[in-house]
Amino acid sequence: MGSKETYRAELRSSIRQLRDRCLYSAARWAGELLVGIEQDNPPSSVSASRGTPSSSARPPHQQDYLHRDGSSFRRSRSRPCPGSEGLSVTPAGGVSYITQDEIDDGDYYLLAKSYFDCKEYRRAAHVLRTQTSKKSIFLRCYALYLAGEKRKEEETIELEGPLGRSEVCNGELAHLERELCALRRSSAADPFTLYLYGIVLRDKGCTSLACTVLAESVNAYPWNWSAWSELQALCTTVDILTGLNLKNHWMKDFFLAGAYQELKMYNEALQKYEHLLGLFQFSDYIQAQIATAKYSLRDYDEAEIIFEELLRVDPYRIDSMDIYSNLLYAKESFSSLSSLAHRVFLTDKYRPESCCIIANYYSLKGLHEKSVIYFRRALKLNKKYLSAWTLMGHEYVEMKNTPAAIDAYRRAVDINPRDYRAWYGLGQTYEMMNMPFYALYYFRKSAFLQPSDARLWIAMGQCYESVPLQMLEEAIKCYARAAKCNDREGIALHQLAKLHSVLGRSEQAAYYYKKDLERMEEEDRQGPNMIEALLFLARHCKTEKKIEEAEMYCTRLLDYTGPEKETAKSILRGLRMPQSGFPSVEFDHLGSS
Amino acid sequence: MAGIAKEGFSGIVNLTPHKIAVCQLIQYFAPGVHSPLAIPFKSISQHNRLGLFLLSLTRACDDYVEPSLDQLITQFKAAGVGGFEYDWFVDWLSEDLTSRLSSLSSPDDLYNFFEKLRGILSPADVASMEDEQCFLDPSSHLGVFIRCCILAFSILTFEGVCHLLSNMTIYCNATDSAYGPPEDVLNDDHVLQESFSYSEHNRVLRFDESETRPRATKSSFHIPGEQQMRGIANELLVDFDVKFKLGDLGICNNNSIGKLSNDTGQDSDYQRGIFLRSKWQIQGYLNEQANLLERGAGSLPFNSFETSLRNLQKMAPDLHHVKYLRYLNNLYNDDYISAMENLHRYYDYSAGMEGIFTGSSEPPLPGIHVGRYESALLCLGIMHTRFGHSKQALEGLSEAVRISQQNNDDSCLSYTLSAICDLLSKIGISSNSGIIGSRYSLGLGTPLSTKQQLLVLLKRSLKRAENLKLTSLLAFSRLAHAAFHLKHVERPVLSSGPKALTKLRTEPKLVCKELRLTSYLLSEFASDALSPPNEGGAFSTAWLKNLEKSITSPASLDGNKTNDYNAFHFSSQPNPIPVSVLQLAGASYLLRATSWELYGSATLVRANTLVYLSCFADSASSSELSMAYCKLIQHQALFNGYKEALNALKLAEAKFSSLPKSPILVQKLQLIHERALHRGELKIARQVCDELGILASSTSGVDLDLKVVASIRLARTLLAAKQFNQAATVAGSLFSQCYKFNLHIESASVLLLLAEIHKKSGNAVLGLSHALASLSFCRTFNLDLLEASAILTIAELWLSLGCSHAKRASSLLHHSLPMIFGHGGLELRARANITLVKCHLCDPSFVVADDPDIVLDPLRQAAKDLETLEFHEMAAEAFYLTALIYNAMGQMEGREEASSSFKKHMIAFENAGSEEKLWNEL
Repeated sequence: MGSKETYRAELRSSIRQLRDRCLYSAARWAGELLVGIEQDNPPSSVSASRGTPSSSARPPHQQDYLHRDGSSFRRSRSRPCPGSEGLSVTPAGGVSYITQDEIDDGDYYLLAKSYFDCKEYRRAAHVLRTQTSKKSIFLRCYALYLAGEKRKEEETIELEGPLGRSEVCNGELAHLERELCALRRSSAADPFTLYLYGIVLRDKGCTSLACTVLAESVNAYPWNWSAWSELQALCTTVDILTGLNLKNHWMKDFFLAGAYQELKMYNEALQKYEHLLGLFQFSDYIQAQIATAKYSLRDYDEAEIIFEELLRVDPYRIDSMDIYSNLLYAKESFSSLSSLAHRVFLTDKYRPESCCIIANYYSLKGLHEKSVIYFRRALKLNKKYLSAWTLMGHEYVEMKNTPAAIDAYRRAVDINPRDYRAWYGLGQTYEMMNMPFYALYYFRKSAFLQPSDARLWIAMGQCYESVPLQMLEEAIKCYARAAKCNDREGIALHQLAKLHSVLGRSEQAAYYYKKDLERMEEEDRQGPNMIEALLFLARHCKTEKKIEEAEMYCTRLLDYTGPEKETAKSILRGLRMPQSGFPSVEFDHLGSS
Repeated sequence: MAGIAKEGFSGIVNLTPHKIAVCQLIQYFAPGVHSPLAIPFKSISQHNRLGLFLLSLTRACDDYVEPSLDQLITQFKAAGVGGFEYDWFVDWLSEDLTSRLSSLSSPDDLYNFFEKLRGILSPADVASMEDEQCFLDPSSHLGVFIRCCILAFSILTFEGVCHLLSNMTIYCNATDSAYGPPEDVLNDDHVLQESFSYSEHNRVLRFDESETRPRATKSSFHIPGEQQMRGIANELLVDFDVKFKLGDLGICNNNSIGKLSNDTGQDSDYQRGIFLRSKWQIQGYLNEQANLLERGAGSLPFNSFETSLRNLQKMAPDLHHVKYLRYLNNLYNDDYISAMENLHRYYDYSAGMEGIFTGSSEPPLPGIHVGRYESALLCLGIMHTRFGHSKQALEGLSEAVRISQQNNDDSCLSYTLSAICDLLSKIGISSNSGIIGSRYSLGLGTPLSTKQQLLVLLKRSLKRAENLKLTSLLAFSRLAHAAFHLKHVERPVLSSGPKALTKLRTEPKLVCKELRLTSYLLSEFASDALSPPNEGGAFSTAWLKNLEKSITSPASLDGNKTNDYNAFHFSSQPNPIPVSVLQLAGASYLLRATSWELYGSATLVRANTLVYLSCFADSASSSELSMAYCKLIQHQALFNGYKEALNALKLAEAKFSSLPKSPILVQKLQLIHERALHRGELKIARQVCDELGILASSTSGVDLDLKVVASIRLARTLLAAKQFNQAATVAGSLFSQCYKFNLHIESASVLLLLAEIHKKSGNAVLGLSHALASLSFCRTFNLDLLEASAILTIAELWLSLGCSHAKRASSLLHHSLPMIFGHGGLELRARANITLVKCHLCDPSFVVADDPDIVLDPLRQAAKDLETLEFHEMAAEAFYLTALIYNAMGQMEGREEASSSFKKHMIAFENAGSEEKLWNEL
């Protein structure tokens, strides 16, 4: 397990380097990962660093996990360390950086860092204006960038005119870009500077160059998670992802897994994460990601267990808790959701996630107005909070405020055009307004983005089938697609059967009724659909002269009460008559009418 | 007063440096009580001119960003140029303006500036006003502007004031050095003092200097700067069509360049020094652009307009109208996917509440926010119509009908009905194809044929438009009505008996009456809500554009302009009537021309087309305009031969080169085909037929006109190649198509063509029946010229049955001669002449020697006409007959001459196949 020690060493030094450059969130991430590595022979230093309450809670958690998903755990443990071959490719950067860093920490740098820590960015940049070491240059530029960002935020509010908030851009960008570009050209840019350059380029809208630069940065220094996540956000399609030129390193696996998750390739993401879990067994981050993926795959129960565990280990966690609240919402567990809301409220009420969780709670309670208030607060805190826009759209739909709902969904779509839920919401809203033809556009969009979701195809089918359109052929195509996509509610099969029988194709109708029947039997469901299927099949078999089958269906029908029972009886009578040599008389018509 | 309230500065003025500059200029115009210096205007007209300039500045909507200080001064100077010949005054004013603006360097300066601004508004008791002082009426246009600015300043937060100050710095510095550090600008006091001393100095020296100053200095001071900028911009923008934008649009100035260079120049600085105008002005600009887009499809450079729209959207994200413009831009550049996307985006954001239909009757109910999504459906339907997706269009429009009924949106409903009428009349829907069969019967109860449905819809929308006072819709409905009557026989919707007592409404009288009613629109529009709210804006825009013309063209600078109104050229004189109204009124003339084309009056076609072109060309859409050109070209071809027509065609082609699938192209192909047929160049004719066929969309029911034309041409080519069977098959299937899609008028000509085919194939009896059928169609629809040619064909057919029928043929022919000679083209006339001669020759009682001119004159005329047309085959026939007659008369000389001409034409006809010259030529 020497490699684990290597990981630790790498992470430890990277935390120091990142913190030194005031890249705090990346340092935090690395820190979380560091304590997530399994301790086979706990040295004293590590146990000291894990002096948080969570460390005491570890052993049971481990057992829990073993119990829950032991197989995968054992498998990954027995495997030889997968990152080892990647490690040889990357230079052993960790150590060399440390030594270099210690030297050029000048006094000015120390002062600037203190200013930076006090959020006095311009002052920090000013102090460093004459410093020429790479570290100082980075910090100066970074401070300037953040100062610009801060000013941007302020200006956005100040400049709200009658025509809406115009998109303010960071005033330092042009200047920074010039400087950083020159640095990169003269190959005097270290990976951190490249990371900053990448962000600047992204803000300026040069996404492809930003990708290249960020890839350079992570290739040279793979432990900067911020750079990876920026890169991940730029990978909006699989093509971009595969087109990246990345060196092998274990950090790349984290990146890939995250990117897969974003691209809705959940199974691939899960695979990656489970593999990583072998190395970083106690990483909360990985657990949260796995839970998120499982939630997205609608594997609610497992996801819930993981989330509960996460909260138990880290009670002040807010990251990914909005997903947990969505899950609780979907499962309609009122009390858990309310206590989650209470908990995050006490931890930090001004996090967008907290507001979202509270809003979810109110929504579940049916208090849509209150829910909207909290979604609005979440959006005030983060204007680009995608799921809040979509969820707020749902609330407005509940409140029958269709224009507001459409507006909210549309904003979500404009933030991320690949958000199929918002497209679907738009379609639903228009469908609610009796505009099925108009709604089709939106359903088509959402089905294009998420072709494996049966609900979208069913919605589209329902539009085509609706009274004003009556485009049954198209509806059949949609339902057929839905039936292929593992339609859980079983609407598609039933509708297919019904539509085929309406169009007079009894052969196909019978096929789908049979399939529907089988499915209902499997899931042990009862209901009007069952009766309908049985009735149709009984009649169909009768006309097809499959007397035995028809009899079977009729007998099953006899179990039900109501008019169908009588119809079944009369069909049965009609069946027996020709058998017994009587002239065939169509009594069943009388019975069924 | 109502006008100003409508234009509404209130609440939507965003204070920008440009507005402060305008305020300063207004202070010059009306200095008020406490003004330290009275402005020494030379004359009243000079003073008025400044006022006019200011008025235009505050109302113009020629762009969405405000002009830079440099431009403002250039415009200002140009406004003064005509009046007072480069004297010191304008210079002094502009320098004073610059220095005053750059002296505003602290929040307190701004505060004092606005404090002073209050003084120029007249006090409440106007009676006590002294003569000397010039006050601004607070309720006048400029007064409202000033008040809005003052209000805007007084509600400005301190942050806002800071922003305004830094913007002022950028604004004042943009002239000198675009990249200069901002610190340099903040020199305050001495600049002010210098300017004052300068002005004093000038005042003393004005007499010396105004004479001695060389004229060129002023123009050379600004224009090179502009040119330099253009040079830079051109370098920057390789892929943008800047030249076009600079040259043709007339919105040519630094604005557009600035915008564009900012797009490419790494958009970070896109807000630096660019300030949006007030909302009302931007909307005016957008409306104007929408108008341009709708009229001249594809006349704007797509990409640059798209980028400037995108920029505008970035700067004003709440102005949803921009999205609509993007939709229009995509639509008219045939980008289906983006058009669809932007349409949906626009309506998602605006909920249909940003009225596109300004004539809409019902104000939205206060408090209840429901949205008017029916207009989204209407737009969607119209979009599909344009792309030729008739089925989707119909679905969209019928949904629009349903939703507008559901939401009681009457005006949208009537617009939708009209859109359906338009769709139904544009695309062919066979009566039995069932696109709008029993399912979609619009609540008419019983299923009707498409034609009947169309008529019912037309009547309904006409009535609705009348009730709702939607004047332009009314005019449109009338036009559609007239077009319907032109081409269809109206029978009662639910006829009780078989064709009993139905008065046909295809009479030209009725159609023309309907068309005349359309023109009433011109007088009605003023009393209606039709006129867009920014009428004054359009006028001001035109005024400023004229100014710019005088700036950019040095000739006008040198020219001695003494009169204020010289700046207006007649052509660019703003028209008080809105473009859309003019367009509809023009369309009525175009439809009149078309109707006369059908009724067969060549002169009236020409007259109406010329009226249209001379009066409505400015407001016409390019497709309509090209249609009018086509009519004239066709006229040329019919009456003056191909040479003239091709010359005219070249002119038209140069004008409409940008249009894909334009009528001009179709016309050109038809012209080439006709000429090839006449010359006997069948290969070329065949090629052209194929090209015509390709132009039409493959979807059934779309581009019907084109398809009919292509098939007729194909049949004629086959006929010329003597492939009678195939020709008859093509014509026969075409006839069944026409029957299926209710194209009666086309049926008439197809039947005539069939008769022609049978005539040529020697089956005169069959030909007669077809010709007679065609004749009855012609009579029903009053197609007089076609009727005459049908009669001519009948006469020819009788004649071909033998000489015993010559008398009947001759009487028939004489019956139609007035029409043919009065309105027929060269070919028809020649055919009539030749048939006439044949009739005479067949007549046993006719002796040539008695009066040879009776036959020789028509033959001469025919030969002349046919030579103009280069119609070798028939010309040869004419000369053959001439030679026969001379031979009978014993005039050998004449005979030889005629026969040599005959030989020439025969050889030309036989050689034609190898002549590919024409093809290469075009």
